[in-house]
Amino acid sequence: MKRRRRTEILIQENGHLAEKLAETIIDVYECKEILAPQYGLTMIKMRESAKNSLFYIGEVLITEAKVEINNCIGIGIVAGMEDELAKHLAIIDAAYKAELPETITWQPQLIEAEKQITKELVRKQAELFKTKVNFETMEV
Amino acid sequence: MGYVPVKGGTEAIDASIKRLKYERLKGNEIIEIQTIISTMRGMIDQVMSESSLYSPFLAALAIKQAEGSMEEAVFLMRAHRSTLPRPYYSKTVEPETMLVERRISASFKDIPGGQLLGATYDYTHRLLDFDLIDESSESVERWLHNYEMELQQVENFDEVKYFPKVVDYLREEGLFEKYEENNTAPKDITKQSLQFPSTRSERLQVMTRGQTGAVTSLGYASLRGYGQVHPTVGEVRVGAVPIYVGHPDDMEDDYYIGDIKVTEVESFVPTQVKNANNEYELQFEIGYGICYGQNETKAIAMSILDQCLEHPEADFPTHDEEFVLLHIDSVESTGFISHLKLPHYVTFQSKLDSVRQVKKGVQEVEA
Repeated sequence: MKRRRRTEILIQENGHLAEKLAETIIDVYECKEILAPQYGLTMIKMRESAKNSLFYIGEVLITEAKVEINNCIGIGIVAGMEDELAKHLAIIDAAYKAELPETITWQPQLIEAEKQITKELVRKQAELFKTKVNFETMEV
Repeated sequence: MGYVPVKGGTEAIDASIKRLKYERLKGNEIIEIQTIISTMRGMIDQVMSESSLYSPFLAALAIKQAEGSMEEAVFLMRAHRSTLPRPYYSKTVEPETMLVERRISASFKDIPGGQLLGATYDYTHRLLDFDLIDESSESVERWLHNYEMELQQVENFDEVKYFPKVVDYLREEGLFEKYEENNTAPKDITKQSLQFPSTRSERLQVMTRGQTGAVTSLGYASLRGYGQVHPTVGEVRVGAVPIYVGHPDDMEDDYYIGDIKVTEVESFVPTQVKNANNEYELQFEIGYGICYGQNETKAIAMSILDQCLEHPEADFPTHDEEFVLLHIDSVESTGFISHLKLPHYVTFQSKLDSVRQVKKGVQEVEA
């Protein structure tokens, strides 16, 4: 599974799955902390829709961590002050980079979590649609 | 006349800082950070937007420390950001990736996807709700339970919906000019001081972090005749956009790091342009506004000012980029105004001396 999709699931799932997956690695492999969770910034680049050009809207606070497993460095980055989640994400990233066999078994769990996230998102959106306006043209 | 160093204020300053803490604590009440996050949504959004730092937690902490003073909270956030490293720039956030929670148009009632009111004060009575005085945890819990029960009746969707932009629909009809993607790297005003003439990216960056009141006032001034832009709001949308950053070595795959909530506005502004026959004809242009959180007034005002600054006019202050861009920043404007209360003993003595000399001279002539 691509990193983009994987991190979407692990972050939107609120960190429980990330913790569970990371623990399976910590128990078996040596996880060397390269960078303890630290706070930093990411500058956000946006496209504006008037002239289709780029600009910076501002910065977002992030927590970043780096972990090394079998000479492979994994990075965990997440918006907010999320020390534990950043560390778990870094371990999972390193596990994928080191192609550890555990990562193959993670696939079904990640896909199931993704289904739940989407289900929840669809539900929230449907609820918001109660505020959709149904215009009726009145006779004058 | 040179500067004269003075001392003697250290103890008074220490006592003053202690007094400040006393003012915050004397009511013997503590407000939790989580309470601010849960109940002061508008304030948090404004502080994040004006400080140009997206972090509801830090914004809530700044609001607590500043006892609700917006300018002080923004100052604290800006000061804090300057202590942090910036290891990443995000991938380009494309506006159509927004997960919309509110979306309205003042230009068309029938927009593709429909108008979604979301959460808004627009249709509320502006009457104080005295029931809130006796609001209890039990009554909140009861209300939430009832509301959640009500939501259970809602019919579900099959998939997540993403809304097309109103302007895209009009562009397809040929009513608005289409612009090719311009991927010129934006300038960053936090890395390099603003120089004039400014670039579009610099203008947008300054305006999106402008003080809400200042941006709104100047947008309003334009509408009242101190500018030449009076738009119709094409679309206001509020929602979350996902943020991705690239891997330092592997540019093929990205990290998702989370969402940020923004308010985005496209305003339609009629302008006169010369056609191929050298005749004037009416065309629409778009003013663009965006800011962190839900702050629709600021985003609409920004869209007016964006259009103003795209058409510099010497006769109108709101079309003057130096006038607009150098006066809307919260830290710069409140900082400069505030410095006036700091000791100016020497400069004022100098002014007094001058006035005394002039008066003495006048008296001598009259004698």
